[in-house]
Amino acid sequence: MSFLDAKPGVPLLESDDLVRHYDVNRGIGKPGATVKALDGVSFALETQKTLAVVGESGCGKSTLGRQLTLIEKPTSGALKLNGTEVGDLTDKEAKQFRRTVQMIFQNPYGSLNPRKKVGQILAEPVLLNMDSLGRKEREERVRATMAKVGLRPEFYQRYPHMFSGGQRQRIAIARALILEPKVIVADEPVSALDVSVQAQVLNLMMDLQEEMNVAYVFISHDLSVVRHIADDVMVMYLGRVAEKGPTEEIFAKPLHPYTRALLASAPKIDPTQRVKTEPLTGELPSPINPPSGCAFHKRCPFATEECAKVRPELRNFEGREVACHRVEEIA
Amino acid sequence: MTENTTPSAAPASNVAQEVVEPVGAPPSPLRETWAYFKTNRGAFTGLIVIGFILFLALTAHWIAPFDPIAQDRTAFLKPPIWMEGADPRYILGTDAVGRDILSRLIHGAQLSVSIGVAVVILSMIAGIVLGMVAGYFRGWIEVAVMRLMDIMLSLPSLIMALAIVAILGPGLENAMLAIAIVQLPHYVRLTRASVVSELNKEYVIASQIAGAGHVRQMFVNILPNCMAPLIVQGTLGISSAILDAAALGFLGLGAQPPLPEWGTMLSEAREFVGSAWWVITFPGLCILVTVLAFNLMGDGLRDALDPKMKR
Amino acid sequence: MALLEVKNLTVEFGSEDKPFRAVDSVSYSVDRGEVLGIVGESGSGKSVSSLAVMGLIDFPGRVTADALTFDGQDLLTMPAKRRRQITGKDIAMIFQDPMSALNPCFTVEAQIMEALKVHEGGNKKQRRERTLDLLNQVGIPDPKSRMTAYPHQLSGGMSQRIVIAMAIACNPRLLIADEPTTALDVTIQAQIIDLLLKLQEDSDMGLLLITHDLALVSEAANRIQVMYAGQLFESGPADSIFAAPRHPYTQALLEALPERSEGHDRLRTIPGVVPGQYDRPAGCLLAPRCRYANENCVKARPEVSDFNGRDVRCFYPLNDQGQPTGMATGETV
Repeated sequence: MSFLDAKPGVPLLESDDLVRHYDVNRGIGKPGATVKALDGVSFALETQKTLAVVGESGCGKSTLGRQLTLIEKPTSGALKLNGTEVGDLTDKEAKQFRRTVQMIFQNPYGSLNPRKKVGQILAEPVLLNMDSLGRKEREERVRATMAKVGLRPEFYQRYPHMFSGGQRQRIAIARALILEPKVIVADEPVSALDVSVQAQVLNLMMDLQEEMNVAYVFISHDLSVVRHIADDVMVMYLGRVAEKGPTEEIFAKPLHPYTRALLASAPKIDPTQRVKTEPLTGELPSPINPPSGCAFHKRCPFATEECAKVRPELRNFEGREVACHRVEEIA
Repeated sequence: MTENTTPSAAPASNVAQEVVEPVGAPPSPLRETWAYFKTNRGAFTGLIVIGFILFLALTAHWIAPFDPIAQDRTAFLKPPIWMEGADPRYILGTDAVGRDILSRLIHGAQLSVSIGVAVVILSMIAGIVLGMVAGYFRGWIEVAVMRLMDIMLSLPSLIMALAIVAILGPGLENAMLAIAIVQLPHYVRLTRASVVSELNKEYVIASQIAGAGHVRQMFVNILPNCMAPLIVQGTLGISSAILDAAALGFLGLGAQPPLPEWGTMLSEAREFVGSAWWVITFPGLCILVTVLAFNLMGDGLRDALDPKMKR
Repeated sequence: MALLEVKNLTVEFGSEDKPFRAVDSVSYSVDRGEVLGIVGESGSGKSVSSLAVMGLIDFPGRVTADALTFDGQDLLTMPAKRRRQITGKDIAMIFQDPMSALNPCFTVEAQIMEALKVHEGGNKKQRRERTLDLLNQVGIPDPKSRMTAYPHQLSGGMSQRIVIAMAIACNPRLLIADEPTTALDVTIQAQIIDLLLKLQEDSDMGLLLITHDLALVSEAANRIQVMYAGQLFESGPADSIFAAPRHPYTQALLEALPERSEGHDRLRTIPGVVPGQYDRPAGCLLAPRCRYANENCVKARPEVSDFNGRDVRCFYPLNDQGQPTGMATGETV
């Protein structure tokens, strides 16, 4: 199948103007509404790189993850793997796709079936996608993957509830890895973990990336984690991309006012790094009824009349992409 | 990392650090449930009584002193042995055609328990399939199934059972079928509710990404997580099945004489309420004790299986 | 005299003969106008200790303390009714999840007025004015229209503001905030923390801020306590405790933070997990995970002692260079 083969000069995973709208029923007598959870998102992910998707709740980052793993079908737009569109796949192609793109979830307590043993949980993807393997080979593969993520062989027969959060997340990582995918979509993989355990899991993910050549789409709200692990960052606000660029540049000089506010709001241990700015006022607007023009203009300290009327498109500025009318002035 | 603190560490893999194994793992869910169940005295008593009834039912052939349908023409309506004029061979007396009441009750246990269990199994299997399909696929299937169940629930259960038996004709098998149909909505609703809440959990999505098909998702991944409330409902369902079977038997539409079903025994003894109280009291007591035992155990199971009731 | 004085507070669960110590002889004090931060990972006992102060530990749990006084009054020996008066009025508490802290059946107004009625009295009109006042104070835009809103109509940040309004309704002298911003987004978190600190400053309240977020506590608190597995490991002033940690655990926690790392280097981790109910080590609770631990640490449990003006529970507290002191050379493993 063509999407399995890497082609030179073509990104591994590419999304082109991906849109996902949900229709909501607001009860009898009221007109239905549309939630624009994802409103035109494009990005390209290269082999063995990490793209971080950053934003607050409701910005559409989890919806993006659901589109990338084909849990849901996008309303419009295209998703390309190795340059080939993966819109309508046959069963056989879908199987191949799943072996290429896998997912890790935020909550290690909810993502493991409580009635299944670790061995059974890990064997399921193999059982369903690698028909040629016999029972013995399957078990061998499970045990090898367990060793890879630092789980001891005797955990094979245990149930998830016997493990701590960090160990469960290792199990979840093992499940995502067992098919040797090329892309792993990680939806807030460490935000439910304690600091010390979070570091273990982050290290593991980075080690595995080097060893197995996987690329990550790393969905997170934690900027310090993102800065540590990502090559590129995509900041999202209300279903659209606010700013996109290389991690170091964005952290060194955030251009979009929202990126700036995000960075300034995060507390810092080192007193010298603290920037004393007024915290961002106002709440996240509702995606059912987004503000006109730039979705951020009601909270933005630089907003002008134009911002309230015209929606800024993503454009190139100083080597990255920013969606702001006034980026030249405030940069 | 200090090596000496994990002396039993297996050779470390080339990638990740070894996870330190928890020394004492928390108790398994089964053992924990049992521990909670044991602390509930009523439930525990219920369990013992059910065990005793099961013992009677299984060994009825050997421990019952008489054949339950053998008639002794020399001993009609003999009272229990502690009363005047009793026949010492018949501990709980005899009925109007000279059958030993104790033997009939012991054999009746066999009948009642198998009615209860059979009805629940039948109803549960059908209910789980319907509820699972409704909860998993949602959409018009759900609407169709659930509205049908609502209609069934809006009829008085005994009247509906009567109507079904009237269509199918009287008899034990038909009575059981009727009771199973009457109980169906409870299992459907319970299954659907649990499936809907499980469906949002990430492990279901994870399996979907792994490529699990609908049947595997429904019955391998989701169903085991919905079983706790169904087990409780099943236990309580046994008691109501016994009760309904007795009621149908009493009305002459369930088990037919001379089968020693408890409800049928009550029905046959109607005319002796005034003259020979024992003919009607003992079957009644048996029904009461059995139903109570199952109810107590069901309540205890619910408390033990429901994490919200713990601590 | 400190506002809240806690000495050797211990909270035990489970059977008498094999108890599980969720909190193990923890001492601290909070003064008027002071922000004390308690920081720790999950299972460190930081929340349980504050619940014990509030008298919210229910039957199977046992609370003991050498002293537990609020404003000089002994909370442990006073009658339950009097204690409830204090813990509702003078000590207030806000929790992690604002959505579950509000009753979904009642409007914002009804809930705040209920809190006022119990502790302040006054007639309905006065209470309504005070409610409006409070909503203004916690920065709710258009408070008049929000009065009649139900909790489900409010966002997370808005709900947490309402919860704070309820907590400060009776002018408490001590506010206990248990992970007040964990459920919120970063920009909203900044707003809420600013609000809490402003309220604390304006009314000279004591604030006990419980969190797992080292950066947050270092920005907000005056003094910081680091807890681990129910024990106090280190306490000291906020500006120096993270600049020069004295306890190996504090040091390791800081090194595990991604923001302390350079580029794509691997983070320095603390191996293993926080000991749970069934696997607490016999010696120092950190010994299996501590990079400096020696035989002594595995055998004996250290007590809290003073080291350079800092309370530290370690046999070999760290010096300014981050190296353990008092250890014979070559003893480390």
